[in-house]
Amino acid sequence: MQPRASKEEILAAIKQVPLLSPSASQLLQLTASTDHDIKEVIDIVKYDSALTARVLKIVNSVAFGLVHEVSTIDRAVGYLGERMIASLALSDSASALFHKELQGYNGPKSELWNHDLRTAIAARAIAAQAKEEMNPDLAFTAGILHAVGKAVLSDFLHNSASELLGEIDDEEVDDYLAGEREVLGIDHTEAGYELAKNWELPDTLTMPIRYHHAPADAPEEHRALVYAVHLGCIVAMMCGSQSSDSLQYRLDQNYTQYFDITAEQLALIVLEVNETFETLHDAMLES
Amino acid sequence: MSNIILGVGEFGASNNPADTVKTFALGSCVAVVLMCPKTRTVGMVHVALPESKINPDKVKTRPGYFADTGIPALINQMASMGCDPKGRGFIVKLAGGAKIMDPNSTFNIGKRNALAVKKVLWKYGLGPVAEDLGATYSRTVSVAVATGEIILSSPGRGDWKL
Repeated sequence: MQPRASKEEILAAIKQVPLLSPSASQLLQLTASTDHDIKEVIDIVKYDSALTARVLKIVNSVAFGLVHEVSTIDRAVGYLGERMIASLALSDSASALFHKELQGYNGPKSELWNHDLRTAIAARAIAAQAKEEMNPDLAFTAGILHAVGKAVLSDFLHNSASELLGEIDDEEVDDYLAGEREVLGIDHTEAGYELAKNWELPDTLTMPIRYHHAPADAPEEHRALVYAVHLGCIVAMMCGSQSSDSLQYRLDQNYTQYFDITAEQLALIVLEVNETFETLHDAMLES
Repeated sequence: MSNIILGVGEFGASNNPADTVKTFALGSCVAVVLMCPKTRTVGMVHVALPESKINPDKVKTRPGYFADTGIPALINQMASMGCDPKGRGFIVKLAGGAKIMDPNSTFNIGKRNALAVKKVLWKYGLGPVAEDLGATYSRTVSVAVATGEIILSSPGRGDWKL
């Protein structure tokens, strides 16, 4: 397959991606750290009037079905949880990336966000099945960010999907990542990693972006979290995705070193992903 | 013409020739399409999981989630539209049940869904006359009520008839 762009062009495009808003950046950094208090989250939201308004609209949306209106940001943050607050700030701050039409992957508008949200919900549920203690909120946030590189590569992959899928079917390339590398010299995990570094995100969030399709290659201290996102991404694709790369990746079966997941538990995780996705998706649409 | 769009775990039927019954982006889920030639009714259920026993409460709000409750619920709805209550004479077509590359048995929910759907259909004496199951691609399913023609599509793979 003919190259569509050079790696240098992609890296230059990544440098042009706007930085995150100060509140989104602070919330991602704060919620990724182990020693923080929810009061710190509330303080960041309080100083961002647009985010405050959005959080209050969402918590009071019909989708959540609360009997009494929540009118203070303290209660709203307590109800939605810090992972949801950080995700909302990210979604609004980088809306142009997460909600754009994924033309290079034949995907409609918001496809990336929808996949990321399902991945986040799944990764959080999978974290609860970890053999050693894992922070489910961190797995959620890492899931939201994991595929951001696709937003960059999409602009360079126009009309490549059909040919790329043909090469995977004919076993000429190993998976969609290898196809991206063949066409662009870089895949969406590396592109996302470069973008996340520009955004100065902490390693706990950049490592799942970089290694979510090759979790065994992740540094040991981040590997369990990366496996949670790896599995979350796969569950999200199983739950439905409208992009050409859906299901075109491999399951790393060494996840069993980190998680005990039976077929029945996985079925419950699928159920949770579908239900929670519907609620959050509807709440965000309403607001 | 109107589209009847079915989300995950939803089911629906129509005998209006102007309608199209549609469900988007099946991954490991299975779309069960039932057609009653006598009344020219088309029904579909978007099954997400094999068995309702994992969450009986969910059956009350959305029986279509599971193969063992979704197919009977669809047949009941079609019976209320004049079709045979036991599904006699129905034409059955199936699509979906995809998998990730290199799945282990735990992660191959698509295969378990397809098997569970066939097991339930078998209890009614029904079996698919056409199916597009398994493999590693998502499927959108669209059924024209007027003709019963089923079109499948997948991003980057175009569309094809079932």
